[in-house]
Amino acid sequence: MLSSMAATGSLKAALQVAEVLEAIVSCCMGPEGRQVLCTKPTGEVLLSRNGGRLLEALHLQHPIARMIVDCVSSHLKKTGDGAKTFIIFLCHLLRGLHAVTDREKDPLMCENIQTHGRHWKNCCQWKFISQALVTFQTQILDGIMDQYLSRHFLSIFSSAKERTLCRSSLELLLEAYFCGRVGKNNHKFISQLMCDYFFKCMTCKTGIDVFELVDDYFVELNVGVTGLPVSDSRIIAGLVLQKDFSVYCPADGDIRMVIVTETIQPLFSTSGSEFILNSEAQFQTSQFWIMEKTKAIIKHLRSQNVKLLLSSVKQPDLVIYYAGVNGISVVECLSSEEVSLIRRIIGLSPFVPPQAFSQCEISNTALVKFCKPLILRSKRYVHLGLIGTCTFIPHCVVLCGPVQGLIEQHEDALHGAFKMLRQLYKDLDLNYMTQTSDQNGTSSLFIYKNSGEGYQAPDTGKGSIQRPYQDTVVENKDELEKTQTYLKVHSNLVISNVELETYIPYSTPTDTFETDETLKCLSLERNRLTDDYEPLLKNNSTAYSTRGNNRIDISYENLQVTNITGKGSMLPVSCKLQNMGASQSYLSSSMPAGCVLPVGGNFEILLHYYLLNYAKKCHQSEETMVSMIIANALLGIPRVLYKSKTGKYSFPHIYIRAVHALQTNQPLVSSQTGLESVTGKYQLLTSVLQCLTKILTIDLVITVKRHPQKVHNQDSEDEL
Amino acid sequence: MSRLEAKKPSLCKSEPLTSETVRTTLSVLKRIVTSCYGPSGRLKQLHNGFGGYVCTTSQSSALLSHLLVTHPILKILTTSVQNHVSSFSDCGLFTAILCCNLIENVQRLGLTPTTVIRLNKHLLSLCISYLKSETCGCRIPVDFSSTQILLCLVRSILTSKPACMLTRKETEHVSALILRAFLLTIPENAEGHIILGKSLIVPLKDQRVIDSTVLPGILIEMSEVQLMRLLPIKKSTALKVALFCTTLSGDISDTGEGTVVVSYGVSLENAVLDQLLNLGRQLVSDHVDLVLCQKVIHPSLKQFLNMHRVIAVDRIGVTLMEPLTKMTGTQPIGSLGSISPNSYGSVKDVCTAKFGSKHFFHLIPNEATICSLLLCNRNDTAWDELKLTCQTALHILQLTLKEPWALLGGGCTETHLAAYIRHKTHNDPKSILKDDECTQTELQLIAEAFCSALESVVGSLEHDGGEILTDMKYGHLWSVQADSPCVANWPDLLSHCGCGLYNSQEELSWSFLRSTRHPFVPQICLPLEAVGSASNLTLDCLTAKLSGLQVAVETANLILDLSYVIEDKN
Repeated sequence: MLSSMAATGSLKAALQVAEVLEAIVSCCMGPEGRQVLCTKPTGEVLLSRNGGRLLEALHLQHPIARMIVDCVSSHLKKTGDGAKTFIIFLCHLLRGLHAVTDREKDPLMCENIQTHGRHWKNCCQWKFISQALVTFQTQILDGIMDQYLSRHFLSIFSSAKERTLCRSSLELLLEAYFCGRVGKNNHKFISQLMCDYFFKCMTCKTGIDVFELVDDYFVELNVGVTGLPVSDSRIIAGLVLQKDFSVYCPADGDIRMVIVTETIQPLFSTSGSEFILNSEAQFQTSQFWIMEKTKAIIKHLRSQNVKLLLSSVKQPDLVIYYAGVNGISVVECLSSEEVSLIRRIIGLSPFVPPQAFSQCEISNTALVKFCKPLILRSKRYVHLGLIGTCTFIPHCVVLCGPVQGLIEQHEDALHGAFKMLRQLYKDLDLNYMTQTSDQNGTSSLFIYKNSGEGYQAPDTGKGSIQRPYQDTVVENKDELEKTQTYLKVHSNLVISNVELETYIPYSTPTDTFETDETLKCLSLERNRLTDDYEPLLKNNSTAYSTRGNNRIDISYENLQVTNITGKGSMLPVSCKLQNMGASQSYLSSSMPAGCVLPVGGNFEILLHYYLLNYAKKCHQSEETMVSMIIANALLGIPRVLYKSKTGKYSFPHIYIRAVHALQTNQPLVSSQTGLESVTGKYQLLTSVLQCLTKILTIDLVITVKRHPQKVHNQDSEDEL
Repeated sequence: MSRLEAKKPSLCKSEPLTSETVRTTLSVLKRIVTSCYGPSGRLKQLHNGFGGYVCTTSQSSALLSHLLVTHPILKILTTSVQNHVSSFSDCGLFTAILCCNLIENVQRLGLTPTTVIRLNKHLLSLCISYLKSETCGCRIPVDFSSTQILLCLVRSILTSKPACMLTRKETEHVSALILRAFLLTIPENAEGHIILGKSLIVPLKDQRVIDSTVLPGILIEMSEVQLMRLLPIKKSTALKVALFCTTLSGDISDTGEGTVVVSYGVSLENAVLDQLLNLGRQLVSDHVDLVLCQKVIHPSLKQFLNMHRVIAVDRIGVTLMEPLTKMTGTQPIGSLGSISPNSYGSVKDVCTAKFGSKHFFHLIPNEATICSLLLCNRNDTAWDELKLTCQTALHILQLTLKEPWALLGGGCTETHLAAYIRHKTHNDPKSILKDDECTQTELQLIAEAFCSALESVVGSLEHDGGEILTDMKYGHLWSVQADSPCVANWPDLLSHCGCGLYNSQEELSWSFLRSTRHPFVPQICLPLEAVGSASNLTLDCLTAKLSGLQVAVETANLILDLSYVIEDKN
């Protein structure tokens, strides 16, 4: 049966849906947020403040609601944060759009649609708006971030080049994160725990791979214990396996271990083969041989000082017995995740019992610091002191709580925090790209031209000054001479200096950069830097035909530098732009990893302010409208955050103070301590805009009441 | 495929605590748990309409595991109490009542959850740091060199479980047995790291409680016929034991994934039996006296062993394997082939024993930390309750060994603690609030709610209409019988306080627990001589009570923090 219904008010419907969701998520948003109790179909209860979990638990049926939830979960998969803000922001955007379209019966840019029906007219109008949104997201937003917002950014790293984190700034970041994720009475404790975990696991050389490891194997790296107060949670050095020893032989000193993935005892027949028994004696001899062989393998392991055997399969009694006799502890039935985690930590491949037995040394054994049973609330676990070969120092989190639901919440939040940190550590050129720089192949075709505006852009854009957080004095860009002390950690500059060295072979006038190390004349140097880009880039583009492959490498690095395309650009993308009547220049730049802002809606208020400014300067009406709507919708988030505050800390006061500070070029003072990742916010913004575009482009919802068809595997493979 | 159905949307309720049904169910639960509390608590008969036997109990673990709770909020409460009980065994009812009281009291105030939670947390940490401090006036050190305080501890646990149906004499007897069983699990020459042994509880139903006893070693139950067949061993030295964890029944073990083709006329059974008899020969030549097997021993092997005067006992079961390994010092044997000589263990002696109608094979250890507690009670339900109580008591003793302190019981700790908090919040609110955003008035309100929650817990110790008083010096609890004359000559009416530490002949002043009083400083620093002289104290385990307190406040905070309940209807 097929019935269809026209979604005549898809915007209205979406707004209604979003408002319902907003009502739920806004109550658990921010530091004052409260908990939500979810029951699972199995009857278990789960406590949560995680927006993604809540939305999933609702099992929504409305098609638009389901689409929104899908968008949220794909955003979460990427960043691990921001589900609640997503909903609130989306709701405010829809509200803004609704107000605008209601007010203006005669839409802004619909000259040619009078012939269509009313509904299709509306759709067309939404289509236009959604196009404007796409344009905004891809062409305007990044520019505003780069040109205006970036001067307010702080860096979480105490040294940008080595990406070292100091504890206090990580604490500020995590505390703000956990504020929104776990119960009020536990968030300080959990964020301390996370902080401890971070610093215990990470070495100074820690790179992004460690975050990936922790993120991938988080389930294996924590142990939940119910029935104890939350404050009993702690961090344990080494790895805890959630099973007991099959045999435990106390051992100390030089302990070596092996991993096996099959039974050590040889079997009568392997799959596909046949074993023919002709006599009883033959059976007895084969059994005897099996026994002797098993014994020999175990003895051999013993002779290599192996005292621990980890097995992913169940071993026969015989193996367990001989291992016990030889003082080898055995842990059986490890999950494949546990095995691969251990292998990744210590870089060990599984031991295969040798066919032709020799007295040679077993190469794939690893040294273990200790191996002992660990008893947590009368349950026994295996505790291994692995010696990591990578930059990860193995530690486990023991999470305690009165109920399983609470432990799961904390586990979830810790996992999310690692996702968030992983994003923060990422090189942001990948996440922060404008359309032109996205297409590396074509960008090399640009004719780089000099334009006056283009010079200013990098200068202001890179004016962010990394400063210690406690220091509330913001130095103006013009006062660079006064801020020499901070310039050491001026992250952008360090990067651009480093990168500039890579251009040296291609350009002649760059010699000056090597010698220019005096920080005093930085601003001077900066000017020169931008000046020099022109010949440099020209050089590159002319050299393109001869240099071939090298050129492509450079175009990646050029992301750091300003690419300027003028009016006469031959690129199809900018041609399209010109059709829309704008003379625009593409800027591509990057935010260094670790950019943060103080919490409490700072990002939103800043972006709001600059968007409004931008809208005033804008000539195009739809651009103005979109910017205004987004700017106003952004304020919805701090409004929720300051909902319960009164007097000096109420939202209007905060807002007015912030705007005043911005107008007079004074530093913003945040009433709350804590930091949040700018990347997270930026990604959230783009995800919401994408979701909104999706909603707006739908003109009809067709309800089909039939069991979903089987999707052929081949199709999906083809798509891949 | 036909069962594929779309998921039903969930049910979402806002502000769950304000709903009438939640309040009613919470108060029903509270009534159930309060009426069970204490030595004079009322028993609950739990009867499942679908079958199973009727359970009579007043213990939280039995009560909550039988109750079917459907509302998610109650589920949070009961699971957190159950989780607490499964890790600390004791103080389950205390936790449940305190949690219910806190939720109820705080709701009346109408403060924002944020404030309540923050202040509750401050008050909790105040309690914990006081109970752990040296100056704490309601805890006493436990002296392991004498049995006096340990006995008090065990006795308090037994008397607080009226469903065990013990008389005074029986209580004394069982307390002594439990303490003995516990002491037997402590290794004699312990250096540094102590690994406690295990007390196995052996059921002997339909016997008098007085017949209960403790024996060192392990009892294996057997039928009389089997027992008669076992030959008596006359040997002056220790007996050599072989313990098998693999089957000795002659099964052919795993042959792998491929196929095994057996030619006509080849009998694998014979081949395996040959192997088994070879094993028997090896055991005999190794002078093994006793063969124990977790699984089944082939009758031929059994007969062979018997012929060579080796006792063979099979079907021991997996539960006894660990204690047996520990007691005999063997390595469980998993091989039918050559046995390494150091995997044999030993016992001092074996004998047969008869208790009631049951026959046992008794393994007596050389020196080991395993003992068997033969527990008798009149009927099934009372026996179950007594068994749970014994397990609780043994666990509490272990916890006390780790943290050798006990709290004064009988409600004195709670009233004392309430008095301390009142005094502290009244006189020194700044130290509690520190730099918080809460005001002093809010603190006073929450502290009052917290203290009265604590006091109503002990208020529920009284089930017979009596009155509960507290003295203004120590802050202890005193109870008066219901039909006492109203004109108060308190020192004559009251004899001892709840824990039995103080008597009424001191110059004390009393006031009703429910009445309002001025905050006073309860006397801190317990005089040790007073503890020494008192022989019949009621005591609680410090570790369990501390955790109970924490869990109760944490759970109450959790529940108060709920703004929505999303119920999955699938």
